Amino acid sequence: MSNAIDRKTALHVGKLARLELTDAQADASAKHLASILSYVDQLAEVEVPEDIEPFFGATESVNAVRDDEVRPSMDRETILRNAPDSDGEFYRVPPVFG
Amino acid sequence: MNTNTQISAADREAVTAAEVTTIIGLEVHVQLQTKSKLFCGCSTLFGQEPNTQTCPVCTGMPGSLPVLNKQALKLSIKTGLALNCEIAKHTKWDRKNYFYPDLPKGYQISQLDQPICGVGYLDISDSDGAFEPKRVEIERAHLEEDAGKSSHDESGRGGKSKIDLNRTGTPLLEIVTRPDMRSAAEAKAFLQSLKMILTYIEVSDCNMQEGSLRCDGNINLHINVGGQKIATPIVEIKNMNSFRAAERALDYEVKRQLAEWKETGGTIEGAPKRTFGWDDQAEVTIAQREKEEAADYRYFPDPDLIAVVTTDEQIDAIREEIGTLPSRLRNDLVREHQLSEYDANVLVNQGRGVVDYFLSVAKTCDNSKLAINWVNQEVLRHLNETNSAIDQYPIGSDGMGDLLKRITDGDLDQTRGKDVLSAMMEDSIDAAAAIEKLGIRQVDSSELDSLCQQLLDANPKVVAQVQEGKVKALGALVGQARKINPNVNPGTLQANLRKMLGVDG
Ligand SMILES: [Zn+2]
Repeated sequence: MSNAIDRKTALHVGKLARLELTDAQADASAKHLASILSYVDQLAEVEVPEDIEPFFGATESVNAVRDDEVRPSMDRETILRNAPDSDGEFYRVPPVFG
Repeated sequence: MNTNTQISAADREAVTAAEVTTIIGLEVHVQLQTKSKLFCGCSTLFGQEPNTQTCPVCTGMPGSLPVLNKQALKLSIKTGLALNCEIAKHTKWDRKNYFYPDLPKGYQISQLDQPICGVGYLDISDSDGAFEPKRVEIERAHLEEDAGKSSHDESGRGGKSKIDLNRTGTPLLEIVTRPDMRSAAEAKAFLQSLKMILTYIEVSDCNMQEGSLRCDGNINLHINVGGQKIATPIVEIKNMNSFRAAERALDYEVKRQLAEWKETGGTIEGAPKRTFGWDDQAEVTIAQREKEEAADYRYFPDPDLIAVVTTDEQIDAIREEIGTLPSRLRNDLVREHQLSEYDANVLVNQGRGVVDYFLSVAKTCDNSKLAINWVNQEVLRHLNETNSAIDQYPIGSDGMGDLLKRITDGDLDQTRGKDVLSAMMEDSIDAAAAIEKLGIRQVDSSELDSLCQQLLDANPKVVAQVQEGKVKALGALVGQARKINPNVNPGTLQANLRKMLGVDG
């Protein structure tokens, strides 16, 4: 399987991740992405019998659930300390439209 | 190029409403009535101080792990069963990736290919016959977490936006219909019917002001032009924040799409879905800014969460809790309590609490007709005037049943009954005490005879009219009689007067 990634794809992926890439950075990212995909491609070499059901996680256990009970939230001052900007009540972010 | 461009402007202009079919599908987000959020223990209470109901899980802090709220899962299954959906035995969680400031993790936990509820349906009809009864198919319903709330600077000076994450992680069930609705009226009926079911089975309060029920509509037109069938581009309308708004937005969009097609001839081929918002003030749909990049959510299974397996026994146990759904309940009320369709509708529309109240009152007084009149009039008027719910109504169903039993038994007439009800509410007393307080007692026959004689003596004109055959003239004496003795029963009084004047029967 070929994992050639062109500059356009790299720029698209960058945009989705809100990264502004120069053409040089995009080319470099394309190379890195291709090598990562090749690495993961090793999985394709494993022969999987046809009757094996798809498997979505790293464990076979199911149904980790909790009761519907309210636990104390973190106090606002502490949690807002993670924010680059806040007014003590709200997070403040650059203007968003729509 | 497609062939549709060959339709001339003149041919387009000539198209009449009869050649146009409206196609509507809905996506409804319902906030489930849980105490805590979908994947953490933060409260879901509405209207609290901003950012006081968050924790490392719902703000997406590294190293935090989500754990599923089993009540949210149960309410989703309950909804699915009420909507005749297949319930998935095996569901999993997927990440829907996008960037927005009110989505702190950079992804929403949702369900892509194994939604908890599969195909189902909801039957709708209109009591005024605006459309034929029909079945709207449900495509799926999946469980996901809500985002936070942004407020933007409206001054135009480009000030910063403010984010409140209290709502982030609140459980939402997204119900997606097939494009089965053919008019805005059908879409509105679907929403009303859905809301009633959801409130009956107590999965959501469906409060639209608080955003507990949010609705987006997908709409386009199929147009028949001289045997050629074309479709207009699909538009998704957001922000339809009331049923009335939904109906008006969809109605408006039908007209707008037809006018746009007549002008440009643009069809669905090669036209991406556009997003419009509904402006309730201006009463127009407005195109929202097109995203430069097509939506690319890069869904993948969430590695932090494991699958959920549901057994038949669990599903059956939830089914047991559903109770009678509104449509079935309406039929039962008509059949078993001889209510009119109209009365049954009014009652059922008030919700399960009022229906239960009626059933209890009707049982106590053994008079469904009297019970429905009093519940649909006296009780509902009070609830409307005080904007309160049935469980806040001062007279319990036992007390109301007792009062109506006395009316049924002829101890009280309805007018005096209403006086008794007022006294019961004013002084928080039962019917017996209110009757005592008002000095109501049965008027015996000698008392009645002397009262009648007094009335006849004082009203020679009425007596003359009656003797000329105008028996109805006696009605004028009821008011006078009540002034003299408020306990007198109008029916008994008139019967006695007729007897004394020899015009009985
Ligand atoms: Zn939380």
